[in-house]
This record gives sequence, C-alpha cells and structure tokens, in this order.
Amino acid sequence: AQQKSAIVQELHVGAGPLTSALGLLRQQSGANIMYDANSLKHLTVKAQDFRGQSVEDVLRQLLKGTGFSFSATEGVFIIKKEKATVPVTGTVTDEETGARLPGVSVLVKGNTQGSITNGEGAFTLQADLHGDTLLFSSLGYKPGRLVLNGQQLVTIRLKSDASMLNSVVVVGYGQTTKGDLTGAVSHVSSENFNTGVFSSPEQLLQGKVPGLNVTRSGDPNATPAVILRGPSTFREGEAQQPFYVIDGVPGANIQLVSPADILSMDVLKDAASTAIYGARAANGVIMITTRRAKQGQSWISYSAYAASERISNKIDMLSANELRQYLKDNNKSLTPAYEDNANTDWQKEVTRNGMSQSHNLSFGGGNEKTLFDGSINYLQNNGIIKTSSLERLNVRANLEQRAFNDVLKINLSISNSLSTQNRAPEQVYLNMLNYIPTVNIFNPDGTYKEDLSRSRGYLNPVSLIDNNSDRTKEKIMLGNARAEVKLLPGLRYTMSLSLQDQQINRDIYNNRASSLSPNTNGQAIRSAFTNSRKVLESYFNYDKTFGKHDLRLLAGYSWQEDRTGDGFQTSQQGFVSDVTAGNNLNLGGAKDGYLPNYGTTRIQTLRFISFYSRVNYLYEDKYLLQVSVRRDGSSAFGINNRWGTFPAVSGAWKISKEKFMDNVRWIEELKLRAGYGVTGNSLGFDPLIAKFRNDIFGKFYSDGRIISSIGPVQNDNPNLKWERTGMANIGIDLTVWKGRLSVTADYYDKRTTDLIYSYEVPSPPYFVPNMLANVGAMSNKGIELQVNVVPVKTANFTWNTSANIAHNKNRVVSLSNDMFSVKYIETADLGGKGQSGNKSQLIQAGYALGAFYLWQYEGKDKDGNSTFRSANGGITKEPSSTDRYYSGDAQPAIIYGWSNSFTFRQFDASIFIRGVSGNKILNATLANLNNPAEATGYDMPRITLGEAVTDAKAPYISTRYLENGAYLRLDNVTIGYTIPVPGKYVRKLRVYATGNNLALITKYKGIDPEINMGGLTPGIDNNNFYPKTRSFLFGLNATF
Amino acid sequence: CTKLDVKVESEYTSDNFPTTADGFIAASGPMYTQLSSKYAVDYWRLQELSTDEAIIPARDGNYEDGGQYRFLHKHTWTKDHPTVKSVWQWAFSGVTTCNRILTLFQKAPESKSKQTSLAEVRTMRALYYFFLMDLFGKVPIITSFDNTSLPEQSSREAVFTFIEKELKESLPLLNTKTGQVTYSKPVKWFAFALLEKMYLNAVVYTGRPMYTEAVAMADSVLAGGAYTLDDNFINIFTPDNGPQVKETIFAIPYDTYQIKGNQFSRFGLHPALVDKYSLLFRPSIAMSTIASFYEKFNLTGDIRNNTWLEGKQFNSDGSPIMISTTNKGLDNNYAGSDPGAKISWQLSFSKELKLRVDSSMDLGNDELAKASGVRGIKFCPDKNTEAQDRNSNNDVPVMRLADVMLMKAEAILRGAAPTAVKGELQTADVLVNKIRARAHAPLISGITLDGMLDERAREMAWEAWRRNDLIRFNKFESAWGFKTDGNAFHRVYPIPASELTLNPKLVQNTGY
Repeated sequence: AQQKSAIVQELHVGAGPLTSALGLLRQQSGANIMYDANSLKHLTVKAQDFRGQSVEDVLRQLLKGTGFSFSATEGVFIIKKEKATVPVTGTVTDEETGARLPGVSVLVKGNTQGSITNGEGAFTLQADLHGDTLLFSSLGYKPGRLVLNGQQLVTIRLKSDASMLNSVVVVGYGQTTKGDLTGAVSHVSSENFNTGVFSSPEQLLQGKVPGLNVTRSGDPNATPAVILRGPSTFREGEAQQPFYVIDGVPGANIQLVSPADILSMDVLKDAASTAIYGARAANGVIMITTRRAKQGQSWISYSAYAASERISNKIDMLSANELRQYLKDNNKSLTPAYEDNANTDWQKEVTRNGMSQSHNLSFGGGNEKTLFDGSINYLQNNGIIKTSSLERLNVRANLEQRAFNDVLKINLSISNSLSTQNRAPEQVYLNMLNYIPTVNIFNPDGTYKEDLSRSRGYLNPVSLIDNNSDRTKEKIMLGNARAEVKLLPGLRYTMSLSLQDQQINRDIYNNRASSLSPNTNGQAIRSAFTNSRKVLESYFNYDKTFGKHDLRLLAGYSWQEDRTGDGFQTSQQGFVSDVTAGNNLNLGGAKDGYLPNYGTTRIQTLRFISFYSRVNYLYEDKYLLQVSVRRDGSSAFGINNRWGTFPAVSGAWKISKEKFMDNVRWIEELKLRAGYGVTGNSLGFDPLIAKFRNDIFGKFYSDGRIISSIGPVQNDNPNLKWERTGMANIGIDLTVWKGRLSVTADYYDKRTTDLIYSYEVPSPPYFVPNMLANVGAMSNKGIELQVNVVPVKTANFTWNTSANIAHNKNRVVSLSNDMFSVKYIETADLGGKGQSGNKSQLIQAGYALGAFYLWQYEGKDKDGNSTFRSANGGITKEPSSTDRYYSGDAQPAIIYGWSNSFTFRQFDASIFIRGVSGNKILNATLANLNNPAEATGYDMPRITLGEAVTDAKAPYISTRYLENGAYLRLDNVTIGYTIPVPGKYVRKLRVYATGNNLALITKYKGIDPEINMGGLTPGIDNNNFYPKTRSFLFGLNATF
Repeated sequence: CTKLDVKVESEYTSDNFPTTADGFIAASGPMYTQLSSKYAVDYWRLQELSTDEAIIPARDGNYEDGGQYRFLHKHTWTKDHPTVKSVWQWAFSGVTTCNRILTLFQKAPESKSKQTSLAEVRTMRALYYFFLMDLFGKVPIITSFDNTSLPEQSSREAVFTFIEKELKESLPLLNTKTGQVTYSKPVKWFAFALLEKMYLNAVVYTGRPMYTEAVAMADSVLAGGAYTLDDNFINIFTPDNGPQVKETIFAIPYDTYQIKGNQFSRFGLHPALVDKYSLLFRPSIAMSTIASFYEKFNLTGDIRNNTWLEGKQFNSDGSPIMISTTNKGLDNNYAGSDPGAKISWQLSFSKELKLRVDSSMDLGNDELAKASGVRGIKFCPDKNTEAQDRNSNNDVPVMRLADVMLMKAEAILRGAAPTAVKGELQTADVLVNKIRARAHAPLISGITLDGMLDERAREMAWEAWRRNDLIRFNKFESAWGFKTDGNAFHRVYPIPASELTLNPKLVQNTGY
C-alpha cells in the first residue's frame, strides 16, 4: 500500500512556503511525508513543475539547498536537518603489533558511504563529528567501532581474529560464519591458494584441504582428478568428482572462473553440510565465491605472470650407442632397416620449454543503489610437448541494483569463456621413449622414417607431431539473473535463473603424410556440438531472533534441465593437398564405399527437480542444531526409482561459551560438532541410462544394397536408482591464545550403498549381455586434522604456519545382492606384451578400491630368466591367471600439506610442502618398456642393461614393478616484494617470483609418483607419459 | 512443477521404432549383422584353429596373446578361453536377436511377406542353434524374448530335434528365388542344405544315423536346380564375389568399410607380399596352415593347389620377392662370420614350423621364422582392403552346392542308397567327380571314406567345416602339428565359466 503512487503524475508548485509545497505533494501522491513544521517554517521554494517523477525525486528537488534531507523508511518519508559533515582522517593498526593495516574497510554507521585504508593504513571520509560512529572491518580481524565524539583525527587498533570465527563461510543456499558451523567445512581464502600456471580452480586447493586428494598431470589440457574423503563409486569421471557451485549457481562450468577472480573456496565435506544438495553431493561440494563489488568500494586491479616450464624428470632411455652395445654384448643385431648410424633423442625432438602467461584485469565499484564489477582474464599455456597448448579468454561482468528502499535487489551476471586447445597425438608419448634411436627422423628423400608394418602403434614421434593436428575450440556463456525480495521483516525470497550455453568445435586433421591414417591422402574429422543447462532456483529464507533463540529457516525448489550433444560430426578423406587441411571438406574425395565418421554423440536431455528445506537453530549462542532435507527427482533413473530423499541432522556445542569456561581465558573457542546425513550420487550419467534404446547395429546386405541394421543396444532397468552415501562426522574446533593456535579435527564414517556397476547378465534371456544395476557397497573411514599457528607476530615480521593431515581407509564392502552377484571384478588390463587378458587389479569385498592382484616376482633363475610364484607356492616361469596374489593397494594411508608464510617489512614469502604416504604404485610403464627380447626393434630403458636378452618375461607386470608410492614434494616457494609507491593512485603494487615442483623426495622409480588417483584403477602408472614439469613464474599484482 | 519426463529427441526407442516398412527391414538387420560380426574370425577360429587346417604360432612373443591360439591348437582350452566365451555369447545373442525380432514382427500388420519374414527369422535362429549344438552340445532352448527367468539346458538330441522342427516348419514359407533379391538371406534351399548337414552328422549329435534323410535333403536342393557349380573355383572367393556366384546357397557378405569382419588378408599373409597384391596395408604374418594338411593338395592340375603360397615367392611380373636383411636377421641362430653382413634373401614360405620356445609355441621372429608356414590365399587378398581396420570385401560362404554334393556322396558311402536326380543316377563317385572336374583334378573311381575326408579338405579348406568333419570321421583325436591331445571330451567346447556363474542352472560339459 505504501508504494501505491510512487510516481507523481503531475504537480504544479507555486512560489511560496516549503510546507505548502510538501502538503501539495502529500495530497497529490498519497505519500506519507513527515516533518517538523516548526523547523521548516522559514523555508520557501520557487515555482516548479513536475511530471512523471518519483516522490523521491520531487522531494530531492524541493529540499535542494535547504539544509534538509529526507530518508525513507518503510514507505514513510521523514524530513530532517542534514548533518554537517567534515573530512575525518585516521589510521588503523594491529592491536598486537602496531603494524598499520591496509585494505580495512571503513564505514559511517547507518550510511553507505565509506572508504578503504591505503597501504599506510590511513583513510579519509566525510562524517558528522558529533553524531557518527565509524565501523571498521577487515578479513582476519574482529570488527572495530569508534564513536567520533568530535574527533577529526582518529586512530583505531583492531584485534586480530586468527581463528577466523567470524569469517564468512559459504554453504548451500546461504552463508554463515565459521563459528556457527555444525558440519565439516574447509574454508580456503585467496591468500592461501597455490600459485602457479593453473587453468582450473581445483589446482588452487591441492594439498590445502585435509581429505581432498587432487592429482594432476603436466598436460595443460588435462583436468585434475579430485577425490574427497576416498572414492565412493565404481564409476569414473564426473561420478567421482565433487559438485561445484559457483556464486550460488549449481553445476556451473568451472572453466568460467579464472583463478585470479576467486575470493575463496569452501569445501563442504560431510553429509550434514552437503545434503542440501541431495543427489549430487555424495562426493562433497565445492563452493566457489568470486570477487564482487561492495558498497563504497572502488578498485581497478591488474595481475599478470609469465612462466617457464621444463621437464622435471624423464625416463632414462638408452642412447643409440648404448643400445647397439647392448645388442652386440648379447650377440644380436639390428635389422638393417633400423640402422642409419644415427643417434636420435626422440624425447628431445618432441619437447620444448613451455612458456605461459596470464593477465587479469578486474575493476568494480558502486554506491548504495548500484554495484558493478567485471574482469578480463587471458591465459596462454604452452605445454612442453610440442604443439600442445591451451589459450583462454574469460570475461565476466556483474551488475547489482537495489530498489524500493532496498526491498528489492536485482543481480545480473554474465560470464564468458573462449578457449582453444591443441593436443598432440596420444601415440607421441610412448614412441618418444621407445622409438628406435638408431634411425634418422627423415629418409634421404625427405619423407619421415617410418615402418608401418610394425604393430602396436610403433610410429615416428616427430612425424606424429608434424603431420597431425587436433584443435578444440570451446565457448561457454553463463548468464545469471537473481532477484532478492524482502517480503516481511526477516523473510526473504530469492529467485535465480541461469542459462549456461557451451559450444564445442573439434577439428582433427591427419595430413597426407600422417601415419595415423595411412593411405587415405589426408583425413579430417570435424564436429560441432552445443550443450545447454538451465537452472531455476527459488527459495525463501526466514531469520528470527526471539530472546535466547535464533532461528533460521530455508525452503526452496529447484528445476534444472541439461540438453547436451546437439550438433554433428562428419569426416572426409582423400585430399590432393594439405594446404586447406580439413577446412573445406568438399575438397576431399574419399574412396567409394567410404563411410563418414558421424560419431556417436546424441541429443540427451536430463531433468532434475528438487525440493529442499533447512532449519538452523541457535540457543543462547551455545547450542546449534541444523536439520535439512532434500527431495530430488532425476529423469535419468529407472521409472520406479526416480525420486530420492536426502535428510541430514547436525549439532554443535560451543563449550567455550559456557559459564564454567569463563575462567579458562586462554581458550578462545572450543566447539564440538556432530552430524549425520544421507546424500546421493547422480553425477556422470548418460540421461538415457535406464531406458531401452535402439541404435545402428552395423550394416547388412539387402537386395543389392548395404543398409543399416537397427536394434537394441541397452537393456532397460526400471529399478535403477541413486548411489546412496550415509556419512557420520564428529569434529572439534579449538582456538587458543588469542587465535595464535587453532586446531580442527574431524572423524568420519562414510558408507555408500546401491553402487552402480555394469553387471554381466546371461545373454539369454537378456538381449545385451550387461546391465547397470545398484548392487555394491563401499566404506570410507578417516580422520582429518588441520592446525594453524602464528608463531611470530610483530610489527615487522610475522610467520603463519598451517598443516593438514588426513587419513582415509577405503574398503569395498560388497559386490553382490540376490539378483546380481560376482565374486570380484577384475580390472586394469594394462595391455602388457604377451599378457593380453592379464588384469592387474581387482575389486573385491574386504579390499580397497585399487587392490593390486599380481604375479609374485621371485627373481631370476640361473639363466637370467624371470621366475614367479605359482598358485601352489612353487616357482614357475609361465605364470597364468590363477597364479596371482593380492599385493597391496593404491590408496594412500596419509595425505598431508604444510604451508608457511612469512612477511618481513615489504617482503613476503611462502613455502608449501605436500605429500602422500602408505600407497603403492604399479610402474607398468617401466614394465612395458623393459622388454629385452625386443631390443632389436625398440629403445630400452636403462634397467634393461641388467636383463638377460632371453628373458621374454622381463616385462611381465608383477610385484617386481609394484613400488612404494610415498612422496614429499616441495611444491611451491614464492617470494614477493610490495613496492611502496608514493602518491594516491596506486594502492598496492607487489611483484613476486614462484617456483613450482622444486624438489621431490620419493623412492618411486617412474617419472613422478603423483599418479592419477581417480577412476576405477587408481595408482597405475601405465603409459602415463606426459612429463611432469618444474616451472618458474614471475608475477605482478597491482591495485588502483 | 514435478514433471520428469523429458523428450527423447535423437533415439529410436520401443515407442517410436519400427513403424514403417523400411523400419521393419532395418529391424531385421541385427540377425544378419550379428552373424557377420564374428563368423569369419572368432567362430572361424574355434572351427579351424582346433584342427590341422590353420594355426597361429607365437613369433617372438607376438601372437602369444595369453596362449589363446596355442590352447586351441593343442586342445588345452579351458572354460576361461576368451574365444569360447565370445562365440557362446555371439551365438546366443543371435538367438535372442531372432526371438526379439519374432516378437516384433508378430505385431506387424498381416501380409504375405510377413509370413516369409517370420520363417526367415526362425531359420536364422535355427542356424544359430546349429552352431551352438555343434560347438557346445547341450544348450538351453529359448524361444521367447520376454521370459527373463533363467533357462534350463536341453540335451543335444533335444536341440537337434528343435532345429529340425523349426527348419521343416519354415521350409514351405521361405523364398525359392535366388540371386540378388535373396542373397545372404535364408532361402528354402538353404534350409534343405542345413538339414542335410544335420542328418549327415546325426550320429555325432544324436547317436542315430540319418544318411537316407541326408540324401533326401541333398536331392531337394539338387532337384530344385537353383544352383550350378561355378566354372572357376577361384571366383567363389574373390573380393567381388556376390549374388552372381551361382553356387553359393548362403553367404555372409563382407565389405571393407561397411560390413567389417573378414580379416583373412590381415592375418594370413606376409608384409613382403604388399606389392604383389597391391595392398594398402602391411599384413600380419600370424596365420598359416600345417604341413601335413598342405600335403593333401597333391593332385596334379588341381586348381585348388593355387590357394596356398609355398616355396620361393615371385611378384606378378615374375621377379623374385627379395628381402634385405643380415645374416643374423635372416637366422637368429646364425653362427658364421660377420653376422651383421647385409644380404638379400628371396622370400620362401616353408611348410615346416620349427619352434624356438616349445612352451609358448613360439617360432621366433627372424626372416626364416616369419616365412615359416604355408599361407592361405583361398580368400584372395583384396587390394581394396581399407588400411586401418584391415577388413576385406570377400563374402564368406556358409553353404554352397559343392558341399551339398560332397555331403550326399559321403552319406551314400556311409550306407544311403544312391538316388537319381533329373535322370542322372548319382553315386558317390559321380558326385565327387563333378567337384574334381570343376577343379581340373584327375577323376576318381571307387572313392573311400578316407578319400572323402581328403576331398573335403581340398574343396572345403578354410570354410569353417574341418572340425565338424574330423569329429564325424573320428579323427579329431589324432595328432598333428604340435598337438598330441587325444581326449574325446574335447569334441564339444566347455560352457564358458562366466556363463555358469550367470546361470547356475547350466551343467558343465563332461571333462571340463
């Protein structure tokens, strides 16, 4: 009702008393305008006309120059005397050390105007000396408050808050403070992120969060594997990865976020915290918060780095002469075709120093009504394998507008990512190691040296690099519109609409000389696909405090639809020239009968609908209770099991707030947390997974023509449902000595049931001899410990150190139920020579995922031939599948990280060490290379020099190649210097140098013990050849 | 909104397929594509690598492949053998495919072609069951698609009776027309020929001789007059063979790009033959035949002798095929002076296979080893074989007129009375001599059973019948190559271990 005539259609004000004009306005607009008539009686206005203007505008005009202003509160306009403001200046310092604090936000209470302290901790703003109070806030400090009381020059000392109890933690559909958490959440803010050439945000967290295992390769185009609190599915890829929520948009593509734009990441680890995301939360949820403008802020910042990457370690292969000598010593000789009297170092020929650069420009600002910010990020990352590269441009913009006296807040944000990836052919990695070094790269006639009669992908690596290209161009756009309405005191409604659109174009061209498509005269494969995702989130928040009770309620609905694979692929062969590559398919001319490769991508639509609710209750600021429930429906599951309910309950007790703790003054915070929740895993699914499907079944002859045959390719399973994870978590948070030491410890017990796996089913009566079914169960139990200490803190020197350590025990609990049963599932067919069908791992109840099941190496016999233990305990030279033994597993017992940061005057430094221990790695790469019987046709690793040339079983994948996978890596050292820049334009200028992967302590003999821990067969180094790198980086951060 | 049903935009589901006539034709395709997918490799290997017709020895670790070829050769296969498993699944998938198509077609609108189509599906199912009965003995009989309960096994006799009944019921409805329209489809003549094959082997399958019935089935084909022996034996197997071959009763069409699965050129040649046959790819050296089998090709003038490569090799222009190597490269056991001296050696395929490593049946991989073993070119090397997947265009016959004639001759030798067809009294000699005459081999009189087996070896080599023949002649237990096993239980393959786990009702074959 109060807004019924916010617009004044027409108003004529005659020259005369202000009060008359106000009366007229009140009459015309129906607005409720209040004033002290006595104090306005001497004021007059001139004659004015208004048309179609808001009441606010009219008032502003009428009061101009009168010394009076108005405020609007719940529809009532109150006119009062303007305060006399004068410039107030001050400095902010650290209470403990006296150090001046830059970047502290200073606000006038009840006002939106404010300032930020400069590099010297100084600020200036306009305030009323007699009525105003200043509010100070800064990350890591308790908020400060100062009544001006007539002072024009002030100083304030802020108390540090190392416990970060008040730091904001982003949780599902809202935020809370660290102190009020009831679940296990790790908050990592930007200053604690890893520094390096990173293309995706999870790399920023590697080693920083207890329980989060990130493994990555040196390939700029590879995505790291992220496993939280142990594997809990038999499926791979997205099914094992945490769920990402970026600025409140669930499932947004993480490529859209540039590392430089991220303010903080919150890793929601236990089910009590994640269950609000229901069926997508079983692997944890990572909430990414990007930098957004705040009221009164204004900034421009630029950051950039340039980096150089080199191979940190490579497999030591024999030189040509060493290989010749080995053959000679063993009375063997090279086939003449393989002897050019050359000495080619193939690794050197296909690698380079990888140069990378990144530039990030961001800016933002705003007033009480409007906020805006934007950023541009450019990344160029050239891999160390020639031609492999990533180039990406990200652009983001946010606009926020408040209206109706802050009742409505509208936010619009757009993010765009354009990237180009170039990949080198996969076959390069093996051939650069074992391609025979005694030949030249080229034949005398200029063609590439090649022997295509060889099988197993034996191809000239330089030719592979030179004659093949594989480029992927990707565009992702995410638009998000969000409206927040204050409906009643304490009651808010939020509606958020997002649209993400992704366009992926891939162009592969194997040219006329390519060994990958011999005798085709060039082959092009081109594809273009779009994927879109629409998300609607709609929810109510109600916050109410009454007496000692504090209640927060959330209830919401979400609707999501993903439509993927809209596009096509085609191919062509037979080009008379390479000059147009695959750009004009019409110029090709494949042989008669050639079938273009249309690929298998199909349009798939997945709909996901959810209802959710959460209650947070706090009593006396001591006892916390959180209860949440989510009901999710997914179109992907079997018609009988589409909906699932995911409840969670958790509580916390702030012991330090109890009366009996009042005397224990050295304890800042002591809190116990406990919770249990149920989540599901519905990520990584083909949306048509449960449906009966027909597809092209090959071709057949019919009356003179060859036509397509169509038949079923998938059994339907109407009972297919979610994988279900129940997790209990108990934790303790302790902060002592004014925040100088804080400890967080968690214990969890996670049990996943209804695991989905493709079971073999009898080929009669089922049509397709395998079927996805919910059968297995898996358990993960572990403890996590995080310790933060500030050993030294003075005005000139501070030292922060933080360590985390996590232990997880993973066990497969069961693989069978009454319908589907297997004793074990054999995995990891590593394709070892002469060992086809030999699997190296098995999934079996009672063992961890990644249990090695290998032949036991028993050394060499007197002739130098490998021997193995047979099933009955004897010795055999011909091991068979029944002679394998359980030999340990790939899951690390301990993962740890230790970071230290120092500041000394203008200098800062940080050192980060991380590692794992208690795991085994199967070095199948080395096994496959070490094949002395083939030394006449392949290069050999140095280890082969100790092998008998007759030992055809030397490459047999056995316990001989199972190694200790523990390592400790000096992952990052950064030294920075903040340049004191005089003048008011530059707020901060810092330069820094970083070294990544500077040292590695390990007994592992392969390239690097950081082996992909994702997937169903973790811990196997098999043709995992993309070399690991060591990089040096020089960077600059500037804020204006 | 709680509606979860989404539109399926790019799939044929049970709701939208098949609805058109072309859709029904496409839907019948899987029973043929299933057949072509493994007939000429996996099925062929079970029927041939277990005999003296073909062998894949290891060559310095290459083609060891976990011993799978060695196990077939030495009759030491187990219930874990990958090919045994794959062929069981292949054939049962074929059965299930046929059952599914039957269900689908029964719902189609009534027409004359519908009855023919249903009969074709039942005949194809009978063929798959014939493979299963022949390879595994007792198998479950499944005739419906919807029953998901685990099926019981039937005795070999019961499976025999079932196939016989199905073929006889389908016969009157099947097409009689030959040529392009029905090429690769089961026509009436094929049903007769398959029945003839069953009756000839009835002693093996059921213990009861049915030679007279076998002759009757042969006569149905011969009297029908739909087929004639092709004048040129070689033409039956060339890359461009097809409906124009008037001898082929049932064949599986293959195509380098579209119907993949013929890999004779890929596995059974030698890289140095690339120029001679204008190949676009480098063939493997894996497969050859065994000396004792090759020696059966000893008739003068017999055109079938040309289906093998033995001895010194020459290009089409008559120039010798030379290989550059060293003394050591030619013979890894070379002990003379200057092992690294470069030499040029004319490619010469040797009959004998000499093992370097007995346990892994390994010949080594020097040039002499690569050239050991007589290579088969009955399925003529195809210059249009695509270079990456190496599938050839030659169609592979399953049943042809020559076999019908040889089977009739054998049934007569085994006791059935000779019969007259179109006024000609066909004795065993008359029939065998038709085959010999076509092959330009000397005619014979007074053919014996042993002679019959050798004639079948010459005529039907590498056509996936050798195992069937050897069992019928009680020769499957003989020694050849490196095989010494004589256990008769190897006449049927074991039921794959994985299938026993999946269906606990299955009872393993005796001996395994």
